[in-house]
Amino acid sequence: MAKRGFQGAVMRGFGARDHEATVTGTERLAPNFLRVHLSSPTLFGDAEAAPTAWLRFWFPDPDGKDVEHQRAYTISAADEAAGTFAVDVVLHEPAGPACAWAVAARPGDRIALTSLGSSKFELPEELPAGYLLVGDSASIPAISAILRTVPPEVPVELYLEEHDEDDWAIPVPGHPRLRTHWVPRRGPQSLAAAIEDRDWSDWYAWAATESGTLKHVRTRLRDEFGFPKTELHQQAYWMYGRAMGKLRAQSEEPEPEEAPAAAPPEAPEPPRDRQVAWRSQAGGRLLAPLRSALIAAGVVQGLVTLVQLAPFFLLVELARRVIAGEERLWALGAWAVGLMGAGALLSSLMLLWLHAVDARFEQDVRRRMLDKLARLPLGWFDARTSGQVKQLVQDDTLALHYLVTHAVPDAVAAVVAPVAVLVYLFAVDWRIALVLFVPILVYVLSMSVMAVQSRAKTSQALRWAERMNGEAGGYLEGQPVIRVFGGAASSTFRARLGEYIAFLNAWQRPFTRQKTIMDLATRPATFLLLIVAFGTLLVTTGSMDPVALLPFLLLGTTFGARLLGIGYGLSGLRSGLLAARRLQVTLEERELETAPRAQNGTEVSKGEVSAGTVEFDRVGFSYRPNVPVLQDITLTLEPGTVTALVGPSGSGKSTLAALLARFHDVGAGAIRINGRDLRELTPDELYTQVGFVFQQVHLVHGTVRDNIALAVPDATDEQVERAARDAQIHERITRLPNGYGTVLGPDAALSGGERQRLTIARAMLAETPVLVLDEATAFADPESEYHVQRALSRLTAGRTVLVIAHRLRTVTGADRIVVLDRGRIAETGTHTELLAGGGDYRRLWDADGSSAPALATTEEHR
Amino acid sequence: MIRTLLTLLPQRGRVTAHLGLTLLSVALRAVSAVLLVPLVAALFGPDPERAWPWMALLAAAIAAGWAVDWAVTAIGFDLGFALLDTGQHQVADQVARTRLTWFDAANTATARQAIASTGPDLVGLVIYLVTPLLSAVALPVAIALALLAVSWQLALAALVGIPVLLGAYWASGRIGRAADRAAARANSALTERLVEFARTQHALRAARRVDPERSEVGAALDRQHGATVRLLTMQVPGQILFSVASQLALLLLAGTTVALAANGDLTAPEAVALIVVIVRYLEPFTALAELSGGVESTVGALRRIRTVLQAPRTGSGTARAAATGSARVELRGVGFRYAPADPPVLDGFDLTLEAGTATAIVGPSGSGKSTVLALLAGLHEPTSGRILVNGEDTAELTADDRRSLVSMVFQHPYLFDGTIRENLLTDAGDVDEAARLARVDTIVRRLPDGWDTRVGEAGTALSGGERQRVSIARALLKPAPLLLVDEATSALDTENEAAVAAAVAADRLGRTRVIVAHRLASIRHVDRVVFIEEGRIVEDGPVDELLDAGGRFAEFWRRQDAAADWRLGTKT
Ligand SMILES: Cc1cc2nc3c(=O)[nH]c(=O)nc-3n(C[C@H](O)[C@H](O)[C@H](O)COP(=O)(O)OP(=O)(O)OC[C@H]3O[C@@H](n4cnc5c(N)ncnc54)[C@H](O)[C@@H]3O)c2cc1C
Repeated sequence: MAKRGFQGAVMRGFGARDHEATVTGTERLAPNFLRVHLSSPTLFGDAEAAPTAWLRFWFPDPDGKDVEHQRAYTISAADEAAGTFAVDVVLHEPAGPACAWAVAARPGDRIALTSLGSSKFELPEELPAGYLLVGDSASIPAISAILRTVPPEVPVELYLEEHDEDDWAIPVPGHPRLRTHWVPRRGPQSLAAAIEDRDWSDWYAWAATESGTLKHVRTRLRDEFGFPKTELHQQAYWMYGRAMGKLRAQSEEPEPEEAPAAAPPEAPEPPRDRQVAWRSQAGGRLLAPLRSALIAAGVVQGLVTLVQLAPFFLLVELARRVIAGEERLWALGAWAVGLMGAGALLSSLMLLWLHAVDARFEQDVRRRMLDKLARLPLGWFDARTSGQVKQLVQDDTLALHYLVTHAVPDAVAAVVAPVAVLVYLFAVDWRIALVLFVPILVYVLSMSVMAVQSRAKTSQALRWAERMNGEAGGYLEGQPVIRVFGGAASSTFRARLGEYIAFLNAWQRPFTRQKTIMDLATRPATFLLLIVAFGTLLVTTGSMDPVALLPFLLLGTTFGARLLGIGYGLSGLRSGLLAARRLQVTLEERELETAPRAQNGTEVSKGEVSAGTVEFDRVGFSYRPNVPVLQDITLTLEPGTVTALVGPSGSGKSTLAALLARFHDVGAGAIRINGRDLRELTPDELYTQVGFVFQQVHLVHGTVRDNIALAVPDATDEQVERAARDAQIHERITRLPNGYGTVLGPDAALSGGERQRLTIARAMLAETPVLVLDEATAFADPESEYHVQRALSRLTAGRTVLVIAHRLRTVTGADRIVVLDRGRIAETGTHTELLAGGGDYRRLWDADGSSAPALATTEEHR
Repeated sequence: MIRTLLTLLPQRGRVTAHLGLTLLSVALRAVSAVLLVPLVAALFGPDPERAWPWMALLAAAIAAGWAVDWAVTAIGFDLGFALLDTGQHQVADQVARTRLTWFDAANTATARQAIASTGPDLVGLVIYLVTPLLSAVALPVAIALALLAVSWQLALAALVGIPVLLGAYWASGRIGRAADRAAARANSALTERLVEFARTQHALRAARRVDPERSEVGAALDRQHGATVRLLTMQVPGQILFSVASQLALLLLAGTTVALAANGDLTAPEAVALIVVIVRYLEPFTALAELSGGVESTVGALRRIRTVLQAPRTGSGTARAAATGSARVELRGVGFRYAPADPPVLDGFDLTLEAGTATAIVGPSGSGKSTVLALLAGLHEPTSGRILVNGEDTAELTADDRRSLVSMVFQHPYLFDGTIRENLLTDAGDVDEAARLARVDTIVRRLPDGWDTRVGEAGTALSGGERQRVSIARALLKPAPLLLVDEATSALDTENEAAVAAAVAADRLGRTRVIVAHRLASIRHVDRVVFIEEGRIVEDGPVDELLDAGGRFAEFWRRQDAAADWRLGTKT
């Protein structure tokens, strides 16, 4: 093993296990790009073939010397179960050991490799605005894996450094929103300089290039574009003119400088005033007004921590005086009492003050959140579960409170205490102070060995946890089935549980020894022994005053625990900062605005257009830039007519309907009601015109009457009752404990269909001329669909109705049917016209089975 | 909590060994602390060389402590792994025997976490929680006792200090938790209004009520603001109480030592050494305070397991019953409520199902029809009254025999992660015939792996309708004398309707069938309709008879007909 040198030894120390792989074939993907297929039955016990994961190969020396060279290669394809995988090797001149081996590789060749410290590309829960990928031929295997992972709607900018003309021939997988830029290398700066100068806010950058190039790329991304550290992954894959393994041993070789004429101007541009606002830094923006308060609190907490350590300093002084036989010991006592009181007072005051600051801040955040909620597009609420909204409004503000009042002082205390102790002990006697680091070192080493060894398992453990969560959910949900069908039904779950326990055993058992060592090393007793042994030695040899031993005996024994507590003390900050970030991101969300009224001639005076005319004028919409959901929709809804939107799911019919209710703003074109652009209407003006009834029922906390008369609080009882009768719900209301005065809640619960009819009654009373409707409402609850349907028939009579249709049969009587296909209008007409036309509608109708005399249709609803 | 732990740890011998060795380790630590007295005294004395023998003793004590701790940790881990094994299995077993009414949203979430995410915590429970806790409490006692050998006055003071300090620790935790709770309450009242405001945005905007509501919620926030601040400041005493108490203890004990030295009871070097021992004595209390933060999740895991293990179980008896042919089923004076505080869903409910008949239960939502089905299936137990199958009280049957009496089609079909064949759970029965009736054959033909296609987790690889059909086939195949069908409320497709109809139509085995029906298609084939309203049978008879009678069922029938034909729009 000596042939692998120091690096090999360290890796073994970390428990890196060698695997042997056998070449099963090679394949030239491009003139300078060779795919090597390998097979190793043991590798995937350790390694995970995640995107961008890589392996360390031990290549033989090309000159036949007895050394092995470690080189990293990305797993470009793998079948974990079969134990087969492939790596793609760039063939370059001058060739190194790796490249030489690959060129000569034949089926049956064997090679050693380890999987240690690999990386893995993962999509975060909240996707970035886009991915900026920077690389070259050597990182194409990793970039390919990223491109396969990034969802199609996210834009990707790819910058590749060209080292060789043949680089162009290397296959790169496609991505619908990928833009590729090849940049010939003219020096280490050329690639960095080629990256477009634009606002990269909320993008994520992944860069893996030659090391000199990477330096410039990093500078440009971080310093010029403002990429925060968390949003930038960077790794050097190789070094120009040097072998990657022994880079430090050799002297600098001058890099060939190219003619600067072709290189882009490198003149340092003055930093521009660009509006960069990264979501990942949003937390800082939210907390900015608190910064000075938090700093002050940190300083005070630092003081308090020192004061709390003071008794130990005083004890040392006390011991010194006792030994010296001094008399005036009471003064020390007074000092101790005084300091103790001062510490308690100071920390109480600080806590009180922090609570006050926090309460004011929190109130402010809540108020801003309230304002924000009132102005966010309704689509924002639809895109989130009620749990997510609750997390934001409730849990995140609480986490913020914890951050300000507890986490910051805790973190300061956790850091200040060990540092102060350390400084003091070093000042007293640096020799013993150094000895205290021996157990710490043991701890850190065992810890990192453990971390490295369990890395592959850690991600497996995460997967297991996820899987068990699903399994447990299924087991619970399936209980009724299991009870009826018996033990066999639960056997899969039991088997899985057994496997999970076996996994936890296999994962944790081997570490028990290390954990025990770590635990014993950091015990106070261990420190005590070290201190006393060395202290006795120093004292007996006369090189230390015994009094100097006291600080160690008093403070040194818990030094380890204190030092290791830093990590724990700091961890409290994280969740608070995440919460702050989520809150600020919401507070910065775009709002619906009311545009000033257009002053040009297109405006139509009220009298000219009859009430309830809706025009869609070349409307386009997309949730993400360049992924249109609706395109070029032009459509007029005549007053008092029913227009039905039909089309396969994903055709945009629900989105189109939501636009009329202004859940979102159109991206192109305009929607006009009675001649006025939706965006010029205040929300109140808009919703006197447009009402909506969707599947999701929104009842407010209050009485039945409150709910019906929500839009018309001063409606008379007769009006409310009439609306309720029309909505087929009056009779049910009278059976509630308090009739119309019943407060809705768990004790006075209404069924789904009844709640629906209540909202229909509300819409009835609101009397908007335009109504947006989801037809699924009529079939949501079979128990009362008859009533809901009658209510809907009443509600729609005489209004301009736009209905999202799922069942074609239901809308055969509509005045107009609009067939949407992939965001565009495919055809329009009445049922008979469209059937005769033999187009999309005809196909939908036939596929639907609606023409058959069935009771219901095949459409399934979620 | 301790009891839960002990029930989960069957290896009594190891538990005792762990306890004994932990105490031994504590004793060794106390000895090494007190050995500091002669050692430090020697170092400060005229002849420091005399410290070496003590040094050797100390090293021996500490080394012995390591050895013992090594064993303690090894046993601790063993216990942890045993805990993992028994804990997880007991929870899984218990879940299968818990009354279904117990599973509300909160309990289900707890049970889910108890199965899925407590594993890693359990492994470390003994060594990271139990051992440190035990030693933290026992070590001060041991040191105080060991001090008796040096100075009885100081030993006494130390012994008195233990309950005081533990009390302060306990009180500060209590105050802190109370303050947290109060703050959480105030906070949740505040945020509930905000959540409500967010939740009802659609309604508020459509009703043009956003601004008035906004200002009202805003005003409420302002009003409560002051109250919250006052509540939050309650946390302050909790946060400083313990640290003040331990500092005070240090001061008093050090003062006592110095006073003893001044009196000549102790020599100066001894006094100094004793101050060091006092710090040792206080260390475990600090460790205790630090422990409380880190073990939160471990304690949470144990608490969740306890919650599940204490859930009420279903009852069963010892009588046997034959599960063949068909069954005559009687509900006699059956009452049922979901929770003791809830109003009864059924009260004195009587119903007799003759052997081999098909019955449809129809009624408005909340009438109790699904409850009747669940009672027949044995998923719930009546809170009063009896259910007899062929004259045998089902409450007296063994769990297995009770189970063998029924087969059921559920409203939400749940399939296991396995192949279609495995999901049919069959070793008996005519698979082909059942598959044909339930229209599973068409699914199987479509799939590349046929019968051996994996249905995916919770059946997600198949469409909703297809899952339903597999679950119907599964129910048809189980040779139970009573077949129950809870029809899906969502709209069915034609294939599914045929499958449901096949399940209800007279079958080869001549079993007794009951269907909770929403659609006319499934009612057409039954012998008898029972119309339920508010937990009572209001109409009962064959379909035609009830239709002629023109009562509630006739009305229901008419409405179903109309609803199926409903059209929106003006040109009808
Ligand atoms: C995490 C990671 C993943 C990697 N994945 C891959 C991969 O999937 N495919 C791949 O081909 N490479 C990959 N590399 C890069 C590869 O490890 C290096 O290129 C390595 O130095 C090649 O070893 P060698 O023995 O052929 O040449 P070395 O002995 O390292 O160097 C010999 C000479 O070749 C030059 N040289 C080295 N690499 C290149 C190159 N790529 N282009 C031009 N000249 C070069 C050197 O400057 C030197 O002059 C990865 C690197 C890392 C760190």
